[in-house]
Amino acid sequence: MIQLFHVRKSYPGDAPVLDDITLRVEKGEFVWLTGPSGAGKSTLLKLLFCADQPTSGQILVGGRNVGRLTQSGVPYLRRNIGVVFQDFKLLENRTVVENVGYALEVLGASDGEIRERALRRLEQVGLKHKAGSLPLRLSGGEQQRVAIARALVNEPTILLADEPTGNLDPSLTDSILQLLFDANARGTTVVVATHDRGLLSRYHKRTIALDKGKVVSDA
Amino acid sequence: MIAHVAWRLSRRAAVNLWRAPLPSLVSVLTIALALFLGISFAVGLAFARSLLTGWGAQASLTLYLDKDTTDEQANALLEKVREMQPDADAAYVNRAQALRRLRLDLGDLAGALDGLSQNPLPPSIEVTPRGSPPPAVVRMIAAQLQRLPQVTEVDYGREWLDKLEALGRSLKAFGAWGLMAVLGAALLVVANTIRLAVYARRDEIEIMKLVGATDGYVRMPFLLEGALQGLLGAGLALGTLATAQRWLLPQAQQAFAFASGVAAPRISATDAVALLGAGALVGLLGSWLAVARFLRT
Repeated sequence: MIQLFHVRKSYPGDAPVLDDITLRVEKGEFVWLTGPSGAGKSTLLKLLFCADQPTSGQILVGGRNVGRLTQSGVPYLRRNIGVVFQDFKLLENRTVVENVGYALEVLGASDGEIRERALRRLEQVGLKHKAGSLPLRLSGGEQQRVAIARALVNEPTILLADEPTGNLDPSLTDSILQLLFDANARGTTVVVATHDRGLLSRYHKRTIALDKGKVVSDA
Repeated sequence: MIAHVAWRLSRRAAVNLWRAPLPSLVSVLTIALALFLGISFAVGLAFARSLLTGWGAQASLTLYLDKDTTDEQANALLEKVREMQPDADAAYVNRAQALRRLRLDLGDLAGALDGLSQNPLPPSIEVTPRGSPPPAVVRMIAAQLQRLPQVTEVDYGREWLDKLEALGRSLKAFGAWGLMAVLGAALLVVANTIRLAVYARRDEIEIMKLVGATDGYVRMPFLLEGALQGLLGAGLALGTLATAQRWLLPQAQQAFAFASGVAAPRISATDAVALLGAGALVGLLGSWLAVARFLRT
């Protein structure tokens, strides 16, 4: 599902952010991507959804070579990838259901279909009753659940989450992670970047550890 | 699918305009002001050119004849002139008539002519071309008539015509460049104004791109907004121009009595449609520039 071959990412004058990364994530796998701050976790995720380009090396996502994608081909790759961020990235002036439905709008779905599917996803994350609320009226945990609903609403094959619980109270962490595990159980490949070692010890999954841009362990 | 996507994008453009009234108002006013200035400039130039053409059309030619030319010879020559220039009015002015005219022109000073021992004025034929021949044609007629017998000199206000012609050419060139400069400046101002609006919505664009929106999909609501702002701006400019024409032009025409007889240019329905189209185009291009720059970065 995801393959990286000798991927390197560097910026002029700085040490490489990623250095000779080679790894493979199978379809339907759940993977923790861990390491201290500055290890290169977020950069690696950015390369996977084409928010950045590698300096060298090859990246295959869903069988497509990301480096050979044209600018116009990027959106079509992203439609198969759901992304969740630490800071939620919700539109403040749109209701919860509009935020979730946003990912379906760009696919050209009808208004009725968008609303129906968005409400179904909100029901899965336990927020159907907040469909008409604005995001700022919601708690941090609820906002992150909305962001996960948005990431999953078009049933992507891959879900990338960058510190999804980083801004949340520890008591909310488990409920957020459970949503990601549920998505994985439905067949979605999930890659979660986190520096929270407590999570890794509580939930035993494949863990790829990065340090100073290199893979230091994969178990 | 295309229909409901188009409807959704149009709706979003309208909602975005409604949600951010201040930046929208700034864009609309900028476009209105630019178009108003541009069109006022063009109308002013058109008025100046029609004034020049009007003055040019009043040009007449005077064929001064040899002093010894008899009335019979002059009348024969008059017939010849009428044959040569069927599109012109021609009249013979004999020496006595010429002197009478001079006396009338001199008014109180006419007494100065009493001391003359003989009439110093030559007979002449006055030729006034009908319609509004351009200066080049007037010049050609003068050259043809100059070759007739007994004609000693053809006076057609050559220097005046040359100056009018040069002024007309300058106005045309200046008008074209000036209009381009005004519209170019408007485009840049609009692009920058819309860029601010785009910048204010950078989070929305980032999220749109994140969930797989194509550049075209991201761009479309902004283009529609730009076109809508351009239309509103053009409508405002049109309204202001119509008001100015209704209330200011009659007073201006009274103030500039020398321009009497020259019709002030009016905004026709075709002009209005062209202006609305130009407004929409300026808004559209301004948005395109603003969003293109943002999408690149």
